[in-house]
Amino acid sequence: MSSAQATKNCITLKGSAQIIVEYLKYGIHSILFQRGIYPAENFDSTQQYGLTILMSKDPKIETFLKNVLSQTEEWLSKNMINKISMVITNAHSKEVLECWDFKMQAEMGDNQSADPTQRTSSKDQTRIQNEIRDVMRQISATVSYLPLLDCICTFDVMIHTLENTELPAKWDETGAIVIQNAQAVQLRSFSTGLHKVETVVNYKMST
Amino acid sequence: MDDIRSSLDNMVDQFNDSITHSAPKKLLFNRLSISLSDDSATLPKKRRMEQESPNCSLNTSNGSLNSSTTDPNGIMQTNKLRAELIETKARLNQVQEKLKQNDKKRRMELSVAESKVSSLQAQSDYTSNKMVRLLEEMEKMRGIESSYKEEMRRAKAELAALKLKYDDTVSKLKNEKAQQEHDARDVQLCINNELAEYRRHAQRADLELQSTLNELEFIRQRHDEYKVRVSGFEELRANFEKQQQSLKVAEERIKDLEFEIQSYTDWKQVTKVSQERLASIPEMDAELQRLRIHNRQLNKIIGDKLLLEEQVHEYKARLDKEEGARAEAASLQVKLTHTEQELKEWVKVAQDHCLANTLVSPAALRSRIEQLLQGDIVHVSEKYASESESKQMRNAVRDLEQKVRIYLKNIEDLNMNLKRHKNFKDRLQRKLRTVSRERDFYKQMVDNFDKDLTMSNASVAEMTQDMQVRYRVDVLERTVTGYKDLCATLDREIQAMRDQEQLSDPSSEDYENVKKELDTLRIENDRLRRRKEEQELEMMQRCLRQDISSPVSKVVHFADNPAAEAYESSKNMFEKLQAEIERLKRHNKKLEDANEQHLNETTTSTGGMTMNFKELNKLRAELESANAKLGKTKEHFMAARKEFRDVVYMLLGYRIDRVGYKSNYRVTSMYAESPDDYFSIALSESNDLALLETPYSETLQPALDQQLAANNSFPPFFSSLTLDLFQRATVTIN
Repeated sequence: MSSAQATKNCITLKGSAQIIVEYLKYGIHSILFQRGIYPAENFDSTQQYGLTILMSKDPKIETFLKNVLSQTEEWLSKNMINKISMVITNAHSKEVLECWDFKMQAEMGDNQSADPTQRTSSKDQTRIQNEIRDVMRQISATVSYLPLLDCICTFDVMIHTLENTELPAKWDETGAIVIQNAQAVQLRSFSTGLHKVETVVNYKMST
Repeated sequence: MDDIRSSLDNMVDQFNDSITHSAPKKLLFNRLSISLSDDSATLPKKRRMEQESPNCSLNTSNGSLNSSTTDPNGIMQTNKLRAELIETKARLNQVQEKLKQNDKKRRMELSVAESKVSSLQAQSDYTSNKMVRLLEEMEKMRGIESSYKEEMRRAKAELAALKLKYDDTVSKLKNEKAQQEHDARDVQLCINNELAEYRRHAQRADLELQSTLNELEFIRQRHDEYKVRVSGFEELRANFEKQQQSLKVAEERIKDLEFEIQSYTDWKQVTKVSQERLASIPEMDAELQRLRIHNRQLNKIIGDKLLLEEQVHEYKARLDKEEGARAEAASLQVKLTHTEQELKEWVKVAQDHCLANTLVSPAALRSRIEQLLQGDIVHVSEKYASESESKQMRNAVRDLEQKVRIYLKNIEDLNMNLKRHKNFKDRLQRKLRTVSRERDFYKQMVDNFDKDLTMSNASVAEMTQDMQVRYRVDVLERTVTGYKDLCATLDREIQAMRDQEQLSDPSSEDYENVKKELDTLRIENDRLRRRKEEQELEMMQRCLRQDISSPVSKVVHFADNPAAEAYESSKNMFEKLQAEIERLKRHNKKLEDANEQHLNETTTSTGGMTMNFKELNKLRAELESANAKLGKTKEHFMAARKEFRDVVYMLLGYRIDRVGYKSNYRVTSMYAESPDDYFSIALSESNDLALLETPYSETLQPALDQQLAANNSFPPFFSSLTLDLFQRATVTIN
C-alpha cells in the first residue's frame, strides 16, 4: 500500500510536461476568450482547476493548439524550451499588441539527478493545481487593466527553443517580436517541482 | 434561578439549624432519659447535683447515709434508697453507654449527612450554573426567534409589496400590450393606407411612364423627321458653300485680271523709261570713263593717306616712348639723389659706428654689424638665461611660499597644540594644586589624628570625657569642612573641564571639515543608492520583457497558425474589396455616362418639355418654403411698421399716411377736432417738401404765413400747431 502511495505521488518529467501543457491549453483558451480575440459565442464553458474556463469551439483553433501543444510537450519533456509566447497581433497591420510569455525553468526535483529523465518530484498534485488556479484567476483579472483591443486581432504561439533544435515539418523559424512602448506585468508562477512556469504579460501602452 | 438558589440556601440553613439544634435536643434527650430513668419522684435539685458531678451525689448520698443513721425510721428507707441508688447507678451506666452509642451513631450520621450536604451543594451549584446557562441560551433563542419572526414579518410585507408591484407591472404591461396592439393595428392600417396610396402612386407613375414613353416615341419620330430635314439642310448648305467657293474663285480671277491690267500699264511706263535710258547710253559711257579715272585718283589718294597715317602713328609711338624715357630718367635722377643721400647717411652711420681710427668701408661696417649682432645674440642668450633663471626663482619662490604656507599651517597647528598643551598644563597645574591641597588636607588630617592620639595618650588623665568629646567634634568638623572644600574644588574642576570640552569641540576646524565631508559623502551615498534602485528596477523591467534574451535560443512557430491565416484572409479580403471598388467605380462611371447621355438626349430632343419629376417636386417644395418665408417676413414687417407708426404718433402727435402711388403724404394731428383736419404734403423729385392746399390748411392761413413762410421749416410749424390744438383741447375739457 505504501509503495503504491509513493508511486502515485511521483511526478516525472513527462508528467510535468503534461501538466504544463494542460495549463497552456486552458490558459491560451482563457486568454482568447478574455481578450475578446474571437466572438464569445464560439466558446464553451468547462470546469477545470475548480474554475469555469471557456474553451474555443473553433475546429481550426483546436487543431492548431493540438499540434502546437503536442510538440511543446515533446520538447518540454526534453527541457528544450526557454519560453513560450502567445502573441496577439492586429490582423491587418500585423502590429504586435500583446505578448503573453510563459517562461519555463527546469528544476532539479527531489533526487537532484544529473539525468533529467530520472528526476522526479513529490509535489502534491492538488497543490500544483491550486497554484495553477491562482494563475488562471490572475489571467482573468488582467482584463481590468489591459488596454481594450478594438481591432480585429489574431494570435500566434511562438516557442523559444534551443539553438540546436531540429524543426519538424510545418514548423518555421521566425524572428523575435517587439512591442513598441511595452509595459510588462508579472503574474504568479507555479512549479511542478521539475518545471517552474512564470507568466508575464507584455502589452502596448495606449498613448 | 435566584429563587431556586434561595430555596436551596433555606434548605441548607434548615439543615444546619437542625444540626445546631441537635445539641440542645440531645441535652433534652439526656434530660428525658434521665427523667425516664428516674422512676421515683426524685427532686430536681438532686438530679441537678447528679448532673453536675456524680461524685458529689455520692458524697451527698453518703451525707444522706450519714444523716440517715441518725434517723431510725429511715434505715429501711435508706436501704431501700440504697438499693434504688445501686439500681439507678446501674441503670445510669447502662443509659450512659446507650448514650455514648447514640452519640457515636449521631456523629457518623452527621458526617454522612455533611458529606451528602456537600455533594448536594456541589450538585446544586452545578445545576444552578447549568440552569443559568440554559436560561441564557433560552434568552438568546428567544431573541433569535423574535428576530426570525420580525424577518418573517418583513419578508411577508416585502412579498406583499412585491406582489402589488408585480401586479401593477403586470397590469401596466397588459395595458401596454393592449396599447401596442392598438398601435400595431393603427400602424397596420396606416401601412395599408400608405400601401394603397403607394400603389396608386405607382399606377400613376406607370401611367406617366406610359405617357412619357409615348411622348418619347413621338419625340423619336420627330427626331427622325428632323434628321431627314437636317440631311436636306446639310445638302443645301453644301450646295451653298460650293456656290460661294465658285464665287470666290471668280472674284479672284477678276482680281488677277485687274492686276494684270495694272501691270500692263506699269510695263508700258517702264518700256518708255528704258527707251529713254537706252538713248542716253553713250553719255553714260563717257561719264563712266570719267568716273573711273576719278576713282583711280581717289584710290591713290587713299593709299597716300594710309601711308601718312602709318607714319603719324609711328611718330606718336616714338613720342610716347620718348616721354616715358624722359619720365623714367627724371624718376631715376630723383632716385639717384635719394640714394646718394641715403648713401651719405649710411656713410655717416658707418662713421658714427665704426671705430675712429679705422677706414670707413662697407666691410668695416659689416664687421661692426656682425660684432653687434654677435653681441645681440649673446645678450639674447643672456636674457633667456636670466628669464629662465627668474622663472626658476619664481618657481622656487612659489615653492617657498607654499612651504611657508605649510609651515604657517604647521605653526598654527603647533600653536593650537601649544594652546591645548597650555590648557592641559593649566589643568594639570590646577589638578596639582588640588592634589597638593588634598595632600595638605590629608597631612592636616594625619596631624589631627596624631594629635588625637597624643591627646588620648597624654592628656587623658587631665581632660574630662566631655572635653575630649568636644575637641574631637571640633576636629571632625574641620575635617568635614576640608572635605566640603575639596568637593567644591573638584566640582568646579569638572565644570571647567566640561566647559572646555564644549568650547573645544565646535571650535576645531578639523571637526567641521570632517563633518562637511561626512555630509557630502552621505549625499553621495544617497544619490548612488537611488541610482542603484533605479537601475535595479530597470533591470527587472528588462528581465520581464526578456530584452536580455538568452543567445542560444531560436524562436519557432507552427507554420499553419491562425495569425498567418488571418493575415492571408485579410489580404485576400483587401484585394477583393479593392477589386470590388474598382468594379463599382467603373459601374458608377458607366451609370454617370449613361445618365449624362440620357439627359443630353432628353434636353436636346424635347427642349425641356419633360422635366424630372423629382426635380420639379423639389423646386415646388423650395418655392413653397420661400413663399412661407416671404409671408412670415411680410407679417413681421407689417407688425414692426404698425408699432413704429404708433410710437411716432404717440411721441410726436402726428399720423403720417402715404396716399396714392405718388409720394403724397397726409399729416393728421392727434388733437385735431375732426378727421378731415389734415395737411397734404408732397415730396418732389428734388427731395423738397411742399404743402398742398387742403380745406384745413385754408383755415390756418395766417399761422401758415407767419411760421412756415417765415422760417421755411415744418417742425416749428407743426409743434406750434400741436401746442395750439392741445391748449384748445384742454380748455374744452376744462
